Order: sequence, then structure tokens, then C-alpha cells
Amino acid sequence: MRIDSEMLAGGMRYRERNVTIVVVVIFGLVLLRLFTMQVIEGGRYRELSEENRIRVEILAAPRGEVRDRNGFLMADNIPSFTVTLDPLDKVYVEDPKRMEATIGRLATILETDSTALAERVKKERKQSFLPIRLKRNTELRAVAFVAEHAAELPGVDVESEPLRRYPLGETGSHLLGYVAEISDKELENPQRAGYIRGDLIGKMGIERQYESRLRGESGKRFVEVNALGRKAELLGDKRPILPKRGTDLTLTIDVNLQRAAEDAFQPGARGAVVALDPRNGEVLALASKPNYDPNEFSTGISQASWARLSEGGNYPLFNRAIQAVYPPGSTLKPLVALGGLDLGAIEPGTTFRETCDGAFQFGTRSFRCWNPEGHGTLALRDAVARSCDVYFYQLGLRIGLDRLAAFMKKIGASDKSGIDLPQERKNLFPDAAWYDRRYGAGRWSRGLVLNLAIGQGEVSISPVKLAQLTAFLANGGTIVRPHVVRGMDGAGRPASVASLRADSLRQPVAIGARAMASARSAMEAVVNDAGGTGGSAKVEGVRVAGKTGTAQNPHGEDHALFVCYAPAEDPRIVVAVLVENAGHGSTAAAPIAQKVLQAFFHPEAAESLRVVAVR
Amino acid sequence: MVTARITNDADRPLFFVTVLLALIGIAFVYSATAMAKDSAEHGLYLRQLIWLAIALGGSAVMAAVPYRIYVGKSAWLLYGLGIFLLVLTLFIGHVGLGAQRWLGWGSVKFQPSELAKIGTVILLANLLSERKLDLTQLRSLVGPMLVAGVPLLLVLRQPDLGTSLTFLMIFFSMLYWAGLPLLYLFLLLTPMINVATSFYLPAWIVFAAVLAVVLYRSRLRLVPILVVVTINLVVGIATPQVWNHLEPYQRQRISTFLDPAADPYGAGYQIIQSKIAIGSGQIAGKGFLNGTQKGLAFLPEQHTDFIFSVVGEETGFLGAGVVTVLYLVLILRGLKIAHRARNRFGGLLAIGLTSVFLYHVLVNVCMTVGLAPVTGLPLPLLSYGGTSLLTSFLQVGLIQNVAMRWREY
Repeated sequence: MRIDSEMLAGGMRYRERNVTIVVVVIFGLVLLRLFTMQVIEGGRYRELSEENRIRVEILAAPRGEVRDRNGFLMADNIPSFTVTLDPLDKVYVEDPKRMEATIGRLATILETDSTALAERVKKERKQSFLPIRLKRNTELRAVAFVAEHAAELPGVDVESEPLRRYPLGETGSHLLGYVAEISDKELENPQRAGYIRGDLIGKMGIERQYESRLRGESGKRFVEVNALGRKAELLGDKRPILPKRGTDLTLTIDVNLQRAAEDAFQPGARGAVVALDPRNGEVLALASKPNYDPNEFSTGISQASWARLSEGGNYPLFNRAIQAVYPPGSTLKPLVALGGLDLGAIEPGTTFRETCDGAFQFGTRSFRCWNPEGHGTLALRDAVARSCDVYFYQLGLRIGLDRLAAFMKKIGASDKSGIDLPQERKNLFPDAAWYDRRYGAGRWSRGLVLNLAIGQGEVSISPVKLAQLTAFLANGGTIVRPHVVRGMDGAGRPASVASLRADSLRQPVAIGARAMASARSAMEAVVNDAGGTGGSAKVEGVRVAGKTGTAQNPHGEDHALFVCYAPAEDPRIVVAVLVENAGHGSTAAAPIAQKVLQAFFHPEAAESLRVVAVR
Repeated sequence: MVTARITNDADRPLFFVTVLLALIGIAFVYSATAMAKDSAEHGLYLRQLIWLAIALGGSAVMAAVPYRIYVGKSAWLLYGLGIFLLVLTLFIGHVGLGAQRWLGWGSVKFQPSELAKIGTVILLANLLSERKLDLTQLRSLVGPMLVAGVPLLLVLRQPDLGTSLTFLMIFFSMLYWAGLPLLYLFLLLTPMINVATSFYLPAWIVFAAVLAVVLYRSRLRLVPILVVVTINLVVGIATPQVWNHLEPYQRQRISTFLDPAADPYGAGYQIIQSKIAIGSGQIAGKGFLNGTQKGLAFLPEQHTDFIFSVVGEETGFLGAGVVTVLYLVLILRGLKIAHRARNRFGGLLAIGLTSVFLYHVLVNVCMTVGLAPVTGLPLPLLSYGGTSLLTSFLQVGLIQNVAMRWREY
């Protein structure tokens, strides 16, 4: 298909003609379009431009519902009324001063500040053409008033919008999180491109983590409002885009367990409980105290409530289960023991040269045991059961910092647990490199390993990580990733969780079977032996294994800790408890774990007890 | 030098149409801003008048200096400068309408893409007017493709889809004018048709069938056929893959790009208001300054991107029709000039510049009547904007330059 220059020249003539025809036809079509719009349909458009107002209405999508593993409702939506104002209403375009009058009247009706309303209108009208949402969850009285005085309040309308509701109130507040209006800062995030000012967005917990799925897609429609305030679909134009409701979530949480965990705390206590299924990492309960009521945020929280939540030193919004790290204290001992056994530093029957007389001399320093009377000479099982510090000081020295840190790294002690909740804090088990960075190379003492071996010093672990490490012991050597969502859209299949993230949920670690068995049997002794420190975690008919902990706290009273799993032979639940500034783990934390285990193994009894208590 | 004989050959209809459109534009910028609350906008039409004076001067200079100076190295220089400024915009540009499009000195802002368009036209005219060029060889298209592709991608990166497609328009109209057979034009377009249809299987099957028939009957040699088939297969397979790997917000951005009305918060409202404005103008319009819709929804764009809506509302079908016909005249004069020029470079220059006008006018007018998505492209000559007016006049000046020297070989 060669083309010689003559053909090209000849083609050129055609080209001009062809292009001219194409251009004239296209312009003809544009003129035809103008003719149709202006001459044929012109009367209709004239009517629209003169008498009626066009309004865009957002059809808000209901957020997905959240249920616990047994189908118990934890978050849903109820209809509510939102008062909106359309700043592009003709009245305001023609006479901007009328806006002030309208806002003034609305402020009285809605019982809000008129300057705040005016500010809001000014900010939002720059961003979109939509009516501005002035007040959510408006009371019926105000709604009725607006409806009655529609003629005097041009552009003001009442739209129906789903309101987020948490039927359980404070229960599970940190786990669920809350929704509130998107902040200016979040609006700048390119990932939030689909949001405008005034939209609701998940702020914490599951609401934030699963925002993109829970939110759904809002729709819109164009309506024509006539002089009498009646609405009609804008015919012949865009069809309404219907909203798509958000995805429902089924959690791994058991509401009864969640309640038991939260109710087990003394009023005013601060702390956290994490309960896991050690076989698959499903989170059965995740509590942080004190709680807050997420319902308060759905409608726009009042200044006073916000002040109460964000000030006062208690920080109720803070999720202590994942956002806070603490020294694990003696709850780390089973892992240190496991390390010693696995590395061959000790045998289960090994005893150390220095007997425990209440303290251990290392160089010029004396390291005290928690029990000033001393434990005498102990082997591993009793050393764990009675939590003898002197034993673990010597074990730490024998293993050495490098080997201990390497073992902790192997079981992922410094990694995040990987739970599917936002804002998880990093954990730390320091190694030599870390101390070099912190204090300068060689400028730190070898004695540090003594403190690390009893879970004190720089080691810091969050309650959820503590639960994960305990699950590692409970299931015999597998790191399971804790997760709170079991399935979506009503499907409770755990398989669908795996598809949420590509990374694996289970990660086996090579540990000697005998080492593991010894560490586990020592944990059983903690609860079940006569001299054990965890006796108060005993549950009827079930053999519990656990470990108490008391973490020294330079800022105040010690933190109480307790970790456990049960049944010891074939564990189905792991519980980690932390109570801030409450003293001993054996007295302040173990009883809380006991109540959770009780609710897990004997739900009927726990239920009837509560009924009695209420009466 | 500009001799009398040469100036006599200047295209008078083109000149009058251009100036007339600019004056109409200033009148409607006045109308669109007359009722603005912000009094700073009231004087915009005066600024536009001053810009018109500057633009006329610039246009005269563009027409006077023989276009031959754009042959050779100077073309590369101009093109290189345009590309450089585009790259600069990506780093230090002003953000407006969600994209970095502007470079500025003080209050004067300027879109480097305007310069890049002219630079690309000039350089393509250079490449396509070479005597050795054999457009039946697919490999001779590689150079022109790169020349148009680089600014296209840079503008797309801003991101400004509307403007970046201008470069496609320039590329294809100039190739066609340079003598590229229609078959090749079609084959060049196939990857794009492929991407567009890959989201809807039946459409894609129709496309693949058409491509197969065309290739079978084309009597092309095996290698070019294989190249076309391979490219189309790769594109066809890769598109859904790439799409599936995008983050949800990136996908949303692309669909808003392609169809802003699908965005619940976006521009659908603007289009409806624009249609009501134009439609309500009926046959004779509501009268100059009497439009009621203009204050409503287009703030702050009623005097820039939506100026045609104001024209349609206030002067009705008669006025909007006249403006449309004036643009048609402008395009047809450009075609005529390109056709008459004896010099191949001159003809290509004129056709490239005319295609830029055609693209902008069509995209903007179709947007205001609801036939195209909101792209943020102004209406050349009519919309408010000093540098936009200036570049339009510079382009017309260059076209006049070709008209005046049509006899030269």
C-alpha cells in the first residue's frame, strides 16, 4: 500500500474537503443542540430559571451494621433529621443580606450560636454546591417549626439522614470507635478525596479502620422546589443516583465476654483487657477503661462533653489495650524461661548458685526480689510459680543480653501485634544496638539484662501484644495475628478475613517441644500450686495456666498485670489484663481475668449472677 | 519586511472574526461580573480590554516576522522551553482546581501548556515537512509521537486531562494533513479505543472484530500487523490489571476525571445550571445584562469557563448561534489558509494551530450544553483571562503569517 507523491497531492485536495465536511457537520450538531435546548425546550428551561429552584439532595448511605460473633447488634443506624440551608437559593443570590436574617432565626430555633452557623455557611459554600448541613439529629419540635415557617426561611430544608447508634452505649467503645464530622486536616488527605466538609467519618477503632467499607456510597438527586416549597424530581434530566449502603461487619468479639471484662473493673479504675482465641487470633474481647459513650459523637459532641473526655488526666478516649505500652513485669518470665530452655542455657531442673534470700548481689548493686523474705533455692517450675526474681536475674545473666534479645526478636516481641485496629503502638524489647543508640556505645551497664529478665527496665509491651505472646505459649509456638473482624456482609466465615489482608494470619516459630512443655507446665503451677501467685484466677472445672506481674512505675503506684490461658491442656482462650496503678497483679489483675474466664466457660452462671446483682 | 503585497494577502474575515469574538467576550465578561458581590470583579472587563490591546500588538508581531524563522533549531528551542516550563510547573506551580497548572509572576499567571501547544505545533510542522519523510513507514512516526507524547504526559501529570488531550488532537490532525493514510490513523488510535472499550466486554469484542477485519484486508506486511496486534493485546490485558491495582481513591479520581457528574459532590450541578441558563434564553434571550442564572452556580467560573452560558441566556439562540457560526468561520478560514499555503511547513503550521482552536471551542461549548464533562478548559477569545486571550491572538497571528506568505514555497 505505497502512496506516491502524486497521490499524496491529489489526496491533499480531498483532505481539505473531508476536514471541512467533518467540521461543518460537528458545528451543525452543536447548533442543533442549541436549537433543541433554546427553541424547542426553551419554555421549560425558562420556567425552571424563573419560578423554581433546583436543589441537589444528597441521599446519605447508611453505614454498615456491626454485630458480634453471635449476631448481637453493636452498631446500627436510626433515622434522624438534619436541617440544611441552600446558600445558592435565588433569594440569597439576589439579596445576600437576607442570609443573615435567616441564620439569625435558625440559630434561635436550633439553639445554637449564630456566628458559628454563619462561619460554617461561609466556609462550606466555597467548596460545593450542596445545601449545608447545619444541625444533625434535630429535635422534632425544631423540625416542626422549620416546616411550618418554610415560607419565611428560604432555602432551609429538613433532610432525613441515618444517624449512627451504638445500642450497647459505653460497652466496647474503644473497640468500635465513633463517627464524627471530618476534620479540616483529614480533608487535605488525598485518600479522603470523596469527602466534603460536614461529612461523617470513622474516627477511632473499627469505625476508622473499616471506614472505606462501612461508609457505603452516598447518592444524590436533583429536585425542583416550587414557590410553595413542594418538591418534584427534576424530570428529563439526571436520574437520581441511589445510595449504596455500607458493608456490614461481623466481629470476632463476644459481647458477653466484652461486658464481663468491662464490668470486672472497679469503678474509676484504669486499665485494659484483651481476650483472644489462641488457635486463630480472633479477639473475643478488647476493653479499655475508662469508657466513653460513642453515641455522643454521632450528633456532634457538646463542648462540655468534649472537655470532660479530653481533659482530667483519665483520657477516656485513649485505647489502653493497643495505644499504651507498659513494662510487662513478671508476665514476661515464662517467655524468658522458654528462651533459656530453648537456647540450652538451663534445663527444667537447673538451680542457680545464689539462693534467694530476698536480694541478689551483682557487682556493687543489690537487686531485690519482690519477696523480701526470699524463696530459697528453686528450679524453673517453682521459680515461675512463685515469681522468684533472684532466679530470673541469674537466668538473664546466663542467657546474656544478646541471646535474650535475639530470642525475643525471634518471637516478635518488638513487633506490632498487627491487629486490625488503627493507632497501634510499637512494642519494645531492647537489644545492645538499641542501648548503644540510646546511651552511646559501651556507656551502659551489663546489669540491664537483670531488669529485662524480670520484665522491667526499658522493655515495654501493649496489652494486645501481651495477649498475642501468651497465645503463642498457649498454642505451642505459633504467632497468630489478632483480628476483630470475622466476616463481611453477614458472612461469618473466617476465610473472608484472610482476604482482607495479604499477610498471613499465622506464623509458626521453631521452638523445642520440651522447652515449650516445661514453660507451659510452670504457668499451670502459677495458678494451681499451693505457693503459686495466681490462685485467684481459678475457675471451676477448668485448668487455668497463667502468670502474674507487677510492673514498677516511676510515676506512681505499680501497674498490676495478669496473663492466662485455659483450658491448660487445649487452650481456647487467652486473657491479658492490665490495671494501672493498682498494685499487685495477683490481687488486682488476676480476679479480673478470672471473671472473664468465668463468663467464657460458665456463661449461664455469670448471667444469673448479674440478674441477681441488678435486683 | 512586511510589504504591501504581503499584507494585502492577510485574511480579512479571520481578522474580523477574531476581534469581534474578543469584543463579544469583553462585553459578556462585563455582564457576568456586573452583579458580583465582590466589587474587585467589576473591573475585570477593563483588564481584559487592556489585554486585548497587548494581544493585538503581539498578534501583529507574530504575523509580521516570516514564519520561516521557526524552521530548524528555533523550533527545538521553543519546544524545549515549553517542556521546561511544564516540568517546572509540576514542582513550583500554583495549585488551582485541584491541579498544578499555573506559573506566575505576581498577579500575572500563565499556563505553560499554552506555550507548549504552540511549540509542539511548530516542531511537528518541522518534522512532518521534511522531504525524506515517508509516512507509510510506521517507524517514521516515532519522532512525532514522542514530540506530542512528552507534553501530553506532563500535562496529564498535573493532572489536566482536558488540556493534555489537545496534544492528541494536534498530533492526529497534523499527521492526517501531512498525508498519513486513514488506515494508519485508525491503527494509531487503536490502543486508545482499546483502553476505552476494555471495561465493557461486548464493546471490546466489536472493536477487536473490526480491528481483525481491517488488518486482514489492509495488505500490510506481517511485521507491522504483529506490532499492532501485540501492542493491542498488551494494552487490552494490562488495562484491567492496572485498574484493579489502583487504590479506591485513585479510581474515584479517574472516574471523576472522565465523568464529573458521577461525583456526588461535583460538577453535575454546574452543568444543570448551565443548561437552564442557555435553555431559558429561548430564541432572543433575556437581554444583555438581564441574565438571572449567572450569579447562581458558576462562581467563580461564570466569566471564565461558563461564559458561553451567559451568552446563551442573555442573547438566546440567535446570539449563541451567531457566536457558534463565528467560531465555525474562524476554523474554516484556518483550513483554507492551510490548504492554500504552497509551503508544506506553513500549511502544517496553520492546520496545527487551527486544530487547537477547534478542540478548545468544541470541548467548552459541548460542556456548557451538557454534552461533555467539566474539564476546566476556557473558551478561546471569549473567556476572561489575559494570557489565554494573548495566546489565542498569537496563534491567530501565526495563522495570518501563513496566509500572508501563501505564495512562498
